[in-house]
Amino acid sequence: MEFRDYYQILGVERAATADQIKTAYRRLARKYHPDVSKEPNAEARFKEMQEAYEVLKDKDKRAAYDQLGSNWKSGEQFRPPPDWGSGYEFSGRPAGAGASARGRRRAGPSDGAHARQEDFSEFFSSLFGGGTPFAEAAGRGGRDHHARIDIDLEQAYRGTARTLELQRPELKADGSVELRAHTVRVSIPAGVTEGQLIRLAGQGAPAADGGGAGDLYLEAHILPHRVFTLDGRDVTLTFPVAPWELALGASVAVPTLGGPVEMHIPSGGQSGQKLRLRGRGLPGQPPGDQYVQLKVILPPADSPQARALYEQMRAQLNFDPRANEAR
Amino acid sequence: MVRVTQVLEAHVLGEGDWIAATEMCQLCRLDLEAVLELAALGVVAPRESHPGQWQLPATALPRLKVVGRLMRDLGVNASGAALAVQLLEAQRELESRLRRLERLAADY
Repeated sequence: MEFRDYYQILGVERAATADQIKTAYRRLARKYHPDVSKEPNAEARFKEMQEAYEVLKDKDKRAAYDQLGSNWKSGEQFRPPPDWGSGYEFSGRPAGAGASARGRRRAGPSDGAHARQEDFSEFFSSLFGGGTPFAEAAGRGGRDHHARIDIDLEQAYRGTARTLELQRPELKADGSVELRAHTVRVSIPAGVTEGQLIRLAGQGAPAADGGGAGDLYLEAHILPHRVFTLDGRDVTLTFPVAPWELALGASVAVPTLGGPVEMHIPSGGQSGQKLRLRGRGLPGQPPGDQYVQLKVILPPADSPQARALYEQMRAQLNFDPRANEAR
Repeated sequence: MVRVTQVLEAHVLGEGDWIAATEMCQLCRLDLEAVLELAALGVVAPRESHPGQWQLPATALPRLKVVGRLMRDLGVNASGAALAVQLLEAQRELESRLRRLERLAADY
């Protein structure tokens, strides 16, 4: 594994005081916190600095880390020394023991910003352990989980099913804790929209104190669609029309999430006009609507006949498109 | 071959769903005192389902999770996190409107 220079990550000298370390962390955290930052790789940077701060803010961990010496360079191949951690008050675990804990992610990406110890690097785990999966739940009932789930707009419209691999810490007969994966199939009802929460009752981590299992929450994220844009439950579609369809009115087949529907374009419309197809958005109480924004596409004047028609309009229609513009 | 061990029915939380304040505290890793302060600041509107039993709207969970993270990670207090989250939401709303307008402008 690669060595991590925690001082370099926080941009402080090795001799920095606890206050200087705290100030440096706070300053960087404000800049890279994934909830507020627009910096590229903010989440990765933030986790890295949380890991560094986790070590450097703790007197014992910092002292043990400093014991490794100052000759290590960031990124250099590293193995913890055999006598690692003796005499310090934290529970060191053998190299590699943190790997299972680090892999403990449920149902896709984690809920964003806050790195728990299991999110820390292999380097951290090899030195300071990954913590037990029950550690944070201790005395607080079941620890619930919150993960993001990506759903296509069509799937949100029709409802969908997802296979998720959930990892649950289970207590073995000898008292040790083991992470066991189990695969579940979740049917997601039609009409889920952006940011909505889906609760899977009793699927969170069990409580260390014998309390009931917590719930697992999935936060729906609707993936951008090729033609439809989503706003709440409403969808908008930009729909190309010929000038005569707008001028004279027409019946056209318009795509909707539920399949094409016949729509009447009233005569005398203008490009950019929005028509509403009631109830054709995402299902719900009430269901969303579909807005069809008309966009005139002019036929190209690329043949003698087409040119003649445009010339005829110019000659015979007394039309000034800028008549209402301020002059 | 994936072996599915269980089929779960999902419950989609919406406007009418409530989560017990204690459960919300666990989910957002906030203490009850902070949640009460956030309620007093207008960040979340609790209801008393039974005497002494407080519930919070399920729709407030994403917002409270951000508040929890800001408080823990940046060391701000409830009032500061409340201000930040309200500004962040206003910013997201403006960005979303901007995207819609840019899309419309691109269509012309």
